[in-house]
Amino acid sequence: MTYPTERIRNFCIVAHIDHGKSTLADRMLQLTELVDPRKMRSQYLDKMDIERERGITIKAQAARLPYRPLGEVGEEYLLNLIDTPGHVDFSYEVSRALNACEGAVLLVDAAQGMEAQTIANLYLAVDADLEIIPVLNKIDLPAARPDEVAREIASIIGGRPEDVLRISAKTGEGVREVLDLIVDRVPPPKGSSDAPARALIFDSVYDSYRGTLVYFRVVDGELRPGDRIHLLATGFEGEIDLLGVHAPEETPIDALGVGEVGVLSAAIKDVAQAKVGDTITLAGRGAQTVPPLPGYREPLPMVFSGLYPVDSDDFPQLRDALDKLRLNDASFSFEPETSGALGFGFRCGFLGLLHLEIVIERLDREFAIPLVTTAPSVRYRVILEGPVDLETGEPRVMTVANPQDLPPVGQIAEIAEPTVTAMVLTPSDYVGRVMQLCEGRRGTMLAMDYLTEERVELRYQLPLAAIITDFFDQLKSMTRGYASLDYEVGDYVAADLVRVDVLLNNEPVDAFSAIVHREEAYAFGRSMVERLRELIPRQLFDIPVQAAIGAKIIARETIKARRKDVLAKCYGGDITRKRKLLEKQKEGKRRMKSVGSVEIPQEAFVSALRTTGPRPES
Amino acid sequence: MGLSAGWLEAPVECGSAAGFGLYLHVPFCHHRCGYCDFATAAVGDDDPAEVEVLLDRYLAALRADLVRQVGAGSWPALTSVFIGGGTPTLLGGVRLAALLAAVGEHLEVADDVEVTVEANPETVGPELLAALADAGVTRLSMGAQSLAGHVLTTLERGHGPDRPAQAVAEARAAGIAEVSLDLIYGTPGERDADWLATLAGVAALPVDHLSAYALTVHANTPFGREVAAGRMPAPDDDVQRERFEAARTVLGAAGFEAYEVANFARATRRVGPEGVAAPARSRHNLLYWRHGDYLGVGVGAHGHHAGRRWWSTRSTSAYLAAVEAGDRPVTGEEHLDDSERALERLLLGLRVREGLHPGDLPPIDPLALEDAVTAGLVEIACGRLRCTDDGWFLLDEAVDRLTA
Repeated sequence: MTYPTERIRNFCIVAHIDHGKSTLADRMLQLTELVDPRKMRSQYLDKMDIERERGITIKAQAARLPYRPLGEVGEEYLLNLIDTPGHVDFSYEVSRALNACEGAVLLVDAAQGMEAQTIANLYLAVDADLEIIPVLNKIDLPAARPDEVAREIASIIGGRPEDVLRISAKTGEGVREVLDLIVDRVPPPKGSSDAPARALIFDSVYDSYRGTLVYFRVVDGELRPGDRIHLLATGFEGEIDLLGVHAPEETPIDALGVGEVGVLSAAIKDVAQAKVGDTITLAGRGAQTVPPLPGYREPLPMVFSGLYPVDSDDFPQLRDALDKLRLNDASFSFEPETSGALGFGFRCGFLGLLHLEIVIERLDREFAIPLVTTAPSVRYRVILEGPVDLETGEPRVMTVANPQDLPPVGQIAEIAEPTVTAMVLTPSDYVGRVMQLCEGRRGTMLAMDYLTEERVELRYQLPLAAIITDFFDQLKSMTRGYASLDYEVGDYVAADLVRVDVLLNNEPVDAFSAIVHREEAYAFGRSMVERLRELIPRQLFDIPVQAAIGAKIIARETIKARRKDVLAKCYGGDITRKRKLLEKQKEGKRRMKSVGSVEIPQEAFVSALRTTGPRPES
Repeated sequence: MGLSAGWLEAPVECGSAAGFGLYLHVPFCHHRCGYCDFATAAVGDDDPAEVEVLLDRYLAALRADLVRQVGAGSWPALTSVFIGGGTPTLLGGVRLAALLAAVGEHLEVADDVEVTVEANPETVGPELLAALADAGVTRLSMGAQSLAGHVLTTLERGHGPDRPAQAVAEARAAGIAEVSLDLIYGTPGERDADWLATLAGVAALPVDHLSAYALTVHANTPFGREVAAGRMPAPDDDVQRERFEAARTVLGAAGFEAYEVANFARATRRVGPEGVAAPARSRHNLLYWRHGDYLGVGVGAHGHHAGRRWWSTRSTSAYLAAVEAGDRPVTGEEHLDDSERALERLLLGLRVREGLHPGDLPPIDPLALEDAVTAGLVEIACGRLRCTDDGWFLLDEAVDRLTA
């Protein structure tokens, strides 16, 4: 069944994690009776295990919902729900998914209120000219404060608090009204059916049986199975061998026209050939002259970390695993590197910390290779002393994504670091603490706005490096979980940075090196050696742990030799328990990395940097 | 070394060459101490008449369990019997004598069998001790734990600091051949001086044997919960190491041989009419360390025979119900593969001071052996593999490296 554009509504749901987006989507699917109740499972649209477990959406998905508003007769409307990721790491993907819509349901938990991420995505939606439909969810909760949150929403998006719909996705109350409002308020897609075909890719997913599946929304023209397509950014050409829609299970279809949302496959080897934001057009003579849809950009890794196999024999398996992961995640990058301490591994680039955690978790879950992950770092820009570049006449510049690549101090003219503009939403009671935290992380305040009397929006310019370790954890703990954070990438700014190295047993362990601000170096070095003393188990000999800038030792601790390691009495001949304990210890030791003569637990490489930085009083 | 296949089939001192033992468990105490994670239950506050009925039932169950286990195989002569608990002396002299008589009825017993009964110093008296000696008990092992009053209080023990000496004297007077005391070191609040005084005090008593255990806090005990809640300091490894060294020094000077990580035998004990006696090592303990075979009868008791281990339920009511219904009370068993048996052989054998005879050694990777030797954990003396003085208290690390 095809639909005329005036009966199509493309929308998404903008919501914070846990505010009930997936439950609402489930309810909508049920209301339109598309899902066999026996097949219904919660978070129907989230297909990856990690997504269902973490309750978050990583990959965007789409579902087609035929719907007839209550009391109307005549033809059905076609609602396309485009499910978007919700996290700051994926804001580019979010912006593309939003561009495939004309409307957005702004879904807010009536107990929690607005969160920074929601506001950031809301701004993206407003920028994309979407019709915003504000909805309060979880009004059945005892802790709900709908009037207050409705005022908050109204103050941010304009309009009246009483226009905010109040629903409970859990009980289903008000869900039909949401669908009716979508039909009523969201404009139908605009586009020309006669123009050359153009479709926006808002997601691509690697499927090991079928190759890359491309999710798209037709802007102009029409796509049919058998059409030969051309992708403007990557230049890929291929024939559509499958054209389908998600209703919500995948269903083949013979054509998709203006405004419609669907999925195609065309023997695309990996997702890097069909990138989010790219434009699909038809191959052939005019293909090069079709104007691309606006907004495409290459994914830009922001956070870097070294990944090393605990057992160096696993290096080829790790390379294979990364190759396979990259098939369905074009936004992460990796290249081989070596570490004196850790041997052969890869320096990997990620969109952000969540992205990093997800990749590590997938490596562990899908490939089960024991890994050491080094502390995350950002990419520094280093201007070198000495001879200028012969071609440009400018000073030579290098980028450093791994602290161990930083040149000696004498060769450095200046180091610049990436900054972000961070937005923190916090209850007003905690404003002082949040400011203290941001300023402790070298932040510069840009703005402070009271959204209501109880909610404050703070904007800071902060070094990216200052927020990729434990900033978010600290923010959450000092505001009892109420503050939320979002950020966007800003400029490079020069800063007085130095590399702090760590020596274990008098040998430098490059994987522990970090680039920090000179004023923070002593505190950082001290906390680093103290943490390592806690994290590294006692061994058969004393181990000095030192932090140094160049040749200068700035902090020192000693891990005292272990003097007892024998299980107590075995009672009544119970040898089994003793043997099992020893076997368990053995298993634990297998997951340690030997660096020189010192055994270091895997988690030490990341944890050493976790709770550094001044801890504001709570 | 260690490459002979005979370490399992034709052992020199270990396995079947170590003797054959019987462990009988009595899961009752007056009070359950805060650190205890053994299979036992306090009956001190129960109606005495009901307790008597329970003890009779339990004795009958032990007998039935013993008969069933003995009937399931053919066994060599018993070289050691150990009645442990709990507090076995709560059974009373008559029941204990009946139990030992049952053992003699159903199993062949070596002439020089060692028969040990565990006791708390406050639960014995001249009458009971005489009854035990008459019943064939050759060895009394009492939980003295400490001679410092405040440590006994922390440990929730039922006796005062003077009682162990009296109980030892009573046991001697009753004619019990060997007397041993258990000690615990590293209890929160115990000072160096408390431990040194305890060591000097027990060494001066007419005892043949001492066991000294580092306090281990198990998560599922009141101590474990106190430590987890931060109300009690966790035992400190360095302190426990120092106390261990002090025990070796003080007891060594007093004529005790440190023959196992936690056990000391009087090397210069009285010489009987038969001539010079060997140090009073506990045969039953050595049986465990030498990977020997033993039956385990009673609640939570473990048995071992040629690489098969089995154990009974830790619940007294489940045990009674099973045995009285004619069922096996066994709730778990395992068959050890060669690598598990090798691990156990080292783990147990290296606890003994002289270590393992070359004929009893499992195969060891030469590089692993070199690593453990270089690390100063083990040494080879007269072909035997044993822990160094320093490696003894780091035995788990030593075994870990030897089996790497």
